[in-house]
Amino acid sequence: MIAGLFIISLGIFVLGVLLPLAGTWQDRRIFRAGSHLCTIAGSILLGALSLFLFLTGNDIAWTAYQPVAGFSLSFVIDRLSAFFLLLISVVSICVALYAAEYNEHLEGGLRRNLLSGCTNLFILSMVLVVASANTFSFLVFWELMAGCSFLLVMYDYSRATTRKAGLFYFVMTHLSTLFVLLGIVLLFSSTGSFVLAPAGVSPVSAIAFVALLIGFSIKAGIIPFHKWLPYAHPASPTPISALMSSVMLKIAVYGLLRFLLDVFSPDVWWGILILIMGTTTAVLGIIYALKEYDIKAMLAYSSIENTGIIFMGIGLYVIFSSYQLFDLALISLLSALFHTLNHAIFKSLLFLTAGSVVHATHTRDIEQMGGLIHRMPYTAGLFFVGALAIAALPPLNGFASEVLLFISFFSSIAVADPLFKVLLFLCLGLFALTSALSAACFVKAFGSVFLALPRSPESGRAEEVPFLMLLGPALLASACIVLGLFAAQIFFIAGFTVPMPDMFLVGLLLLAMLVLTFAVLFFTASRDVRVTDTWGCGTLSQQPAMEYSGHGFSEPIDIIFSTVYRTKMKNERTFFDQKNCIFAEGKAEIRLIKVFEEYLYLPVARASYATAETVSRFQSGCLDTYLLYVFCAVIAVIVFLGWLA
Amino acid sequence: MNLSFGLYLILNTVAVLLVAPLFVSIIKKVKARAQGRSGQSVFQIYFTLAKLLKKETVYSSHSSWVMRLTPYVSIAAMLVAALFVPLVFVPEPVGGIGNIILLLYLLALARFFMALAGLDAGSPFGGMGSSREMSISAIIEPTTIIVFAALVFVFKSLNVFDMFAASAAAGAPSTPTLILLAISLFIILVVETSRIPVDNPETHLELTMIHEGMILEQSGKNLALMELSAAVKLTLLMALLLNLIVPFGLTTTLAIGTIAVAAVLFVLKVTVLAGIIGLFESSMAKMRFFRLPSLFAMAFFFSTLIIIIEVFA
Repeated sequence: MIAGLFIISLGIFVLGVLLPLAGTWQDRRIFRAGSHLCTIAGSILLGALSLFLFLTGNDIAWTAYQPVAGFSLSFVIDRLSAFFLLLISVVSICVALYAAEYNEHLEGGLRRNLLSGCTNLFILSMVLVVASANTFSFLVFWELMAGCSFLLVMYDYSRATTRKAGLFYFVMTHLSTLFVLLGIVLLFSSTGSFVLAPAGVSPVSAIAFVALLIGFSIKAGIIPFHKWLPYAHPASPTPISALMSSVMLKIAVYGLLRFLLDVFSPDVWWGILILIMGTTTAVLGIIYALKEYDIKAMLAYSSIENTGIIFMGIGLYVIFSSYQLFDLALISLLSALFHTLNHAIFKSLLFLTAGSVVHATHTRDIEQMGGLIHRMPYTAGLFFVGALAIAALPPLNGFASEVLLFISFFSSIAVADPLFKVLLFLCLGLFALTSALSAACFVKAFGSVFLALPRSPESGRAEEVPFLMLLGPALLASACIVLGLFAAQIFFIAGFTVPMPDMFLVGLLLLAMLVLTFAVLFFTASRDVRVTDTWGCGTLSQQPAMEYSGHGFSEPIDIIFSTVYRTKMKNERTFFDQKNCIFAEGKAEIRLIKVFEEYLYLPVARASYATAETVSRFQSGCLDTYLLYVFCAVIAVIVFLGWLA
Repeated sequence: MNLSFGLYLILNTVAVLLVAPLFVSIIKKVKARAQGRSGQSVFQIYFTLAKLLKKETVYSSHSSWVMRLTPYVSIAAMLVAALFVPLVFVPEPVGGIGNIILLLYLLALARFFMALAGLDAGSPFGGMGSSREMSISAIIEPTTIIVFAALVFVFKSLNVFDMFAASAAAGAPSTPTLILLAISLFIILVVETSRIPVDNPETHLELTMIHEGMILEQSGKNLALMELSAAVKLTLLMALLLNLIVPFGLTTTLAIGTIAVAAVLFVLKVTVLAGIIGLFESSMAKMRFFRLPSLFAMAFFFSTLIIIIEVFA
């Protein structure tokens, strides 16, 4: 019966794909609205179903198609899958609500029908990846997901930047598929089946793990494979950025967890590898985010950072479970999973509200915004909740998951072996740095976008977005608050005991203090209020150019971490006299180096291009030469076979 | 939640609010004496706060609800944080009150709001203060967390209440590590409360100010709340340092006699520490902003070194 419900929800998604496609000859809103309604209905059904499965711990299984024995498209939903399905459905509901309004304001006429349909297909493919019962169907739907997301990124294909971003994404996502394929083929060669079952300890399984880890890292945006995120997110329509950042990256996390839990028996060094990858990603991600002034690229870098934090949790889990510390391993795993859910929620909230801001101001440059809190008060409030959550401030959900990771770090110091502690200390310090920098980053983001005076005429004319574009984010914002306040209770209901402080009590205390202070001051202090100009040392009118810009805000951090940014400054001057007093002319230049692009991506690209050049010399197009090749090949085969015999 | 905990909530909050301003002015007094001035009375600050409450509140026309909400959030966060650090009486912890990580992040909550309020009016001073505050707080964070991790490691508990109870039972620092950690805690105290050599609490000069820059646009009762929350923050950090290192008088039983003795001892201890902070500030110049990271790096390696020694011992 429950499996039937699952199939029905898949059917609703398929309907959502077909409906706008059927209406492609008519540019009418009704088809797109129907499609979004399908997304919402399917997601609600799927969400309820997976919540039920997650809480009861029941499994369901369904084989959809089996052409040959051994190859099948079959699905199993266990607790882990149910958790990720719940995440997909919660985000999809809110994104679909938002998209129903947002997509109408996009350019592109009939293409908007395709966008709605393809979004449904994208969500469907992610659902099927998570529900896959064997590596074969995992791979099939993984590739479907990659294809759909590529088409969605290319929505605005008439722009050159979008085409470049799309192409970059296409290459990266297929590299990811390639590595996943390699891992799965290696596993198949060692176990002989596509079933997700323990593969035992062997060198082949270790190589398979590394291949899968690279594949999933590319998809999850782990540094140094992260470069596609800050290109693809700004280029794609907002609902798509939100879905990609908050759900698709999590599918990679799911893949890694699924293989770690069910297939491999991890070794300590695997955990150390994941932990180090996670820590570097988290720190570098947020440091790069601070430098960004394109709001969507900044959010993309912040997603990279949060994926790093999730990887840290997974790394700790692997380390502890290989040391037989199962309590600590559980806490680390829960922190990773909870952060996955929380990040999905607050990051989609931030992407959607950022999309509203971009929609209202027609720019993605935060230096052109400002003062929007007066013009878009609801959007500002919602973004504010997201910023509080992502800066890990109590009592919101970002803190709830980061505190768990802190606790598992803290307790690990008491038990791990000495050399290990040094590594853990380093990672702990860097994690704290990440968390504090992300607070700085979102003070900068909220401050530049919403506070003070508008810095461009468009921002001055900005208007609040329509109701549906507020409803989706509002649901997400309330989820942020509920998941934060009731974190301890949620873990209890889910059946886990974790040393989590009771955030509801803290929330109550905060509220009580707030109300008490307000009441006391209301009765004792003066209630006179005067509204006047900002104090400006005697200047008569305040200009937007006088306020602190986003660049100015992050300047101290830029300077402190200048070695990380590898900023190159050049200053050439010529003088008329020999004592260098009378300045003639000069040139000053500050160049930001895209470290990974210039030192890693481009060399690899150039090398493969050079290889292709070399190989292409063999393709002369002349029939005689090809006959010679065939002749040589035949001789070589004969010699080889003779040598074998 | 039992009766003694309820009583603790009320008593601790009232006590913190009463004594916090006093400690700020003791530091000021010591600094004035060190500079050869007689300085204002240590009770002047109470009159100043009362005066601020009576004045009208001025808001910038560009400011929003962030500016209006910040003073309340700031004081609320500080008062809740103060509940995490018992001054004289340590009850049994209830529901995660006293969690050391939560304590740190409550301070971060107040800072987040304060930094946004600094940007709200569009004044360059506020922005400068916010930017510097967020940068400094970010680079001191690794040191803070390492020191806290070391405390958790030494006391085998995540809860400040348990740590205090353990150190009260021991009566004196239980390990040499604690004394060394006190130095790190002192550095954290100086940084978190915006004192020399990191920030100068006395001036409104744009070259030096960080914390004062952020609250430059605050006035009237809002300014009083900001000043008070800064004082509460100073008190709770001093209490954290003192009750761990010199826990004399700290009591775990709810009896009027012991609490009265503990209260007197506590005020004495804090006065001595405030004197030390005052002298420390007087003997030092404010550091250039971009020299600070190297100071913090020193603090970080120092604390890591201590912990590693402890860990390998």
